[in-house]
Amino acid sequence: MSEPADTQLVPPSSVVLVSGGSRGLGLAIVTDLLDAGVRVAVFARTITPELEKLAAEHPDRVHVGSVDVTDLRAAQSFIREVEQHLGPIDGVVNNAAMGQDSLHAHTATDDIARIIETNLTAPLQLTRLVVRRMLAKGLRGRIVNITSICGQRGFPGLVAYSATKGGMDAATRSLARELGGRVLVNSVAPGFFASEMSAVLGPTQLDQIVRRTPTGHLTEPVEVTPVVRMLLREHTNINGQVIVVDGAAAS
Amino acid sequence: MNELSRAQIRDLMAQVLKNQDKELPADDAAQLREIGFRSLDFSELALRVEDETGEELNFDAPGLRRIATVGDVLDFLVELQHQ
Repeated sequence: MSEPADTQLVPPSSVVLVSGGSRGLGLAIVTDLLDAGVRVAVFARTITPELEKLAAEHPDRVHVGSVDVTDLRAAQSFIREVEQHLGPIDGVVNNAAMGQDSLHAHTATDDIARIIETNLTAPLQLTRLVVRRMLAKGLRGRIVNITSICGQRGFPGLVAYSATKGGMDAATRSLARELGGRVLVNSVAPGFFASEMSAVLGPTQLDQIVRRTPTGHLTEPVEVTPVVRMLLREHTNINGQVIVVDGAAAS
Repeated sequence: MNELSRAQIRDLMAQVLKNQDKELPADDAAQLREIGFRSLDFSELALRVEDETGEELNFDAPGLRRIATVGDVLDFLVELQHQ
């Protein structure tokens, strides 16, 4: 379908749903958005003390729920709660994901299925739910998918994980087209975090990445949060893009 | 379950190396780096053990990174069969 371009600007998001916001990058994104005055809905499988503290500090601006991202029904009722408590959702950060650290040949088939369900199927389903609400209410909004440099570059031990991240980057481009400028959709693809030591890559591999990085250090969550905030809040014409934040390690 | 002994795994390891014209030293303390036994060789060995026992052996990479000697390989695979 070829239609005239929708020239109305997409306003900054005011109620942002963040999946997997209880620790690491997700928690940093939640904190940063709260500092920017945004109302934030956060869910995670487990609610951490850090998240509880944020909710207690900003009772009117934070809505927290214990939801597994793969539980679509729970996600749906969480969205309803958020709308009642904070107002209609006009921003989403798909951040919840599970890692991998096993050679493809030796990864259990159930584990491959679980990685794909958590990192690819679940965010697509959550995005669908929120986009339906946005369209039904005539809202304009913004979606940020947190992916990874693995979506574009190869790393051993991360085959299924890379497939999901590359899949989300591809979905970002198509969704941006499909939503015709009413919703801006972008990916932020960080390089490896120092905190992922042993969880995703071994110390030798991380040392090698640092040596190859012109900025001389691994990515920190605080270096990613401003980019996410910009995509949610600033007036730019960035849409359907994957923004890599890795100090040019993979360039 | 048809479980392989440490000695049987050692025989399979020797075969993997022999296919590459390399020799498996008798000493369990021998360093894998010196023999030229790499992580994909470990994969091959694990899959050969699977073929013998008919049971899939799945494992994460961190465990693999701790393996440095011939003895480590044998211990790892003996233990993996019990999981």
